[in-house]
Amino acid sequence: MTPAAPVAVTGIGCICAAGGDLDAAMAALAAGSRAPHPPTRFDTGHPTRYPVFEIPAGFVPQDILDKHDLFLTTRFALAATRMSLADAGWDAPALRRLRVGVCLGTTVGCSMDIEGFYRQYRSGAHPGLETIERFLRSNPAAVVSRELGLDGPVQTVVNACSSGTDAIGIAASWIRAGACDVALAGGADELCRIIYNGFISLMITDEQPCRPFDRGRRGLNLGEGAAVLVLEGPAFAKARGARTRARVLGYGSACDAHHLTAPHPQGRGLRRAFAEALAAAGVAPPDVAFINAHGTGTPDNDRVEGQVLHDLFPHTPFVSTKGYTGHTLGAAGAIEAAFTVACLEAGSIPAGVGFAEADPDIPGAPPVAHLAVRGNVAISDSLAFGGNNAVLVFGCPEP
Amino acid sequence: MRTAIRGIGVVGGFGTGVEALRGAVAGGRAVTSSSPETAGGSRETRRADTAALEAFVDRRALRRMDHISRLAILGACLALRDAGIDRPDERTGVALATGYGPTGTTFGFLDSFIDGGDPCSSPTLFSSSVHNAPAANLASVLGVTGPNLTVSQFEVSASSALFTALLWLDAGRVDRVLVGGVDEYGEVLGYCWERFFGAADASGCRPLDTRRQTALPGEGCAFLLLERTTGVPGGVGVIESVQMGRVGATAPQIPSDRLLILGADGHRRCAGGYLQLVPPGSVVTSFGHLWGSFPTATAFDAAAGAVLLQSGKTFAPPPGLEGSGPWRVPAAGEPLPAAGIGLLRVSSGGEYALTLMSLA
Repeated sequence: MTPAAPVAVTGIGCICAAGGDLDAAMAALAAGSRAPHPPTRFDTGHPTRYPVFEIPAGFVPQDILDKHDLFLTTRFALAATRMSLADAGWDAPALRRLRVGVCLGTTVGCSMDIEGFYRQYRSGAHPGLETIERFLRSNPAAVVSRELGLDGPVQTVVNACSSGTDAIGIAASWIRAGACDVALAGGADELCRIIYNGFISLMITDEQPCRPFDRGRRGLNLGEGAAVLVLEGPAFAKARGARTRARVLGYGSACDAHHLTAPHPQGRGLRRAFAEALAAAGVAPPDVAFINAHGTGTPDNDRVEGQVLHDLFPHTPFVSTKGYTGHTLGAAGAIEAAFTVACLEAGSIPAGVGFAEADPDIPGAPPVAHLAVRGNVAISDSLAFGGNNAVLVFGCPEP
Repeated sequence: MRTAIRGIGVVGGFGTGVEALRGAVAGGRAVTSSSPETAGGSRETRRADTAALEAFVDRRALRRMDHISRLAILGACLALRDAGIDRPDERTGVALATGYGPTGTTFGFLDSFIDGGDPCSSPTLFSSSVHNAPAANLASVLGVTGPNLTVSQFEVSASSALFTALLWLDAGRVDRVLVGGVDEYGEVLGYCWERFFGAADASGCRPLDTRRQTALPGEGCAFLLLERTTGVPGGVGVIESVQMGRVGATAPQIPSDRLLILGADGHRRCAGGYLQLVPPGSVVTSFGHLWGSFPTATAFDAAAGAVLLQSGKTFAPPPGLEGSGPWRVPAAGEPLPAAGIGLLRVSSGGEYALTLMSLA
């Protein structure tokens, strides 16, 4: 396979429970701080109040928060987009003169999770359609494109928990193919009662703050947030004098074709996704400085992923940042891509918060303290319901 | 490099398989059914039957499969059979569009905890309620291990999936892609339909009527099996390109030398978008009255386009299209323009997608 042309990352916006922007989140990661708590925006009937990673209202700009006719997911996407454009030095009028694509991943943002409406309907009442209209208005990629007045391809990826990773990989291919001049790529998702019930029903939710790759891990904690990366062709970015924060070197994806919720026991699809991404990037495993793993904290995911990472990258450190953010579903791949770039810039990765004791079933473990890393290449990978696996390879800017 | 159409797989209100599609398109016949009585009443619908799936897949593998996944698997099986492929190889990908996802299962999941309390939430229904469950089930049943993508972009969902599928093929990520769209109809959607649009217009679906709401709800799945080819494409034709953008921004380059299949389906609000975009004098038709209105119906337009390319001629236009705008509606049996076909879909949110297809 011929390596793919790199794509420049010229801006990043990120909002999650760890911080209202990327710098704040990275500071929280550096400090090892996190504060999951039981959900405050909804009630549940579970005897255990499972912790989540909620975004405080103050993290979202008020003018965006006030867009109550949109899902919170979509408002998170708008907040992250605004930050990413500021970081990249773009404003909306300038973008309107170009072909600009929007590719965002989500789960909740496209789901007809309309519990209140449905309860009324079931009871024989004739509920109004305000909730349905809100759903129809909230498609994340469409809203971002529409709000900015953009003209170009739009795509909302609904590949469950790999959506954000897939969206960035797909948008990079749009840039390579010349389908647009600039692409806004990432993911967004919000906490909601229905998803909370769903993950608890699968018995993969930890009653405690999650412990990725730890021997005593019991499951994930849900989170919420969004991240958006501004992607451009390197020559285009250079011509306008933009700062390149990183480069998307490669992307790969593959399906386990095995089970709706459990990963393939030998990580079949994940291995293939890694192989494709590395080939596209033109790099070998020893070139990879670190890996931001999916690392949900569920027994199955971490065992399979840990084994694959050890087999393919025996000497490469890996960490899961979900201990700081919770599992943000369709946003996770995007937020973790943002963290991966920031860690490459910083030359270090955070401690694997929640990890204390190695699991004998997992060869390898995340660091227990901040770790300096050397190298110009890093990876972020995602696994998902449906057996989807997706891998992004990032490189530092060319010197 | 060309992207050849190797197979067509369809299941919709007109029936199952490419012959049923061909018959419906040629005859302009719609098969109707009536939605169950809901809080909003009942109306004529275009429903799809998945009974034919058991000819392809062991019943045990389908035991817990919901309707939308059955639709997706059947559509994929039919496309593979049409292409003469028994099992997809590892260089095959899936790009599936859905506007609303597994709504029936989503509401089933809500039922589980509304009836029994939150601790009684059904894990089986939850895991099948995610939007990519149909594509995942398809991959699992048919053993498709390549890239697997589900997109949701309402009316331009199918075009968006096709847009990325073409790039996969062009970049050499895969050799073949099953690309299509799936959506299901159900009681809650029927209620919403009634509340949004009121009683159905008795005149039936008139695709480009801007004064009356005549759309009829539909459901189904349509797949094309696309393949990279460096040689002369086979008999079904090629997908040349997909262009996406916003109505009112850069104007789409709508060709005047092709037959335009408009995604108009009787939604009054969307009809105006077509009137705005399609140049006067264009040759247009539409088929939405055959499969009904649902977000991913463009996948059916693409399948119909492939059937037209195969036949080399146009078929009967839908009722009410003649005189609906400053364009020409071809007569049944008129030769297809040599340049080929354009599929145009305009969304209620202001996006458009233009797909170009031809024989070579």
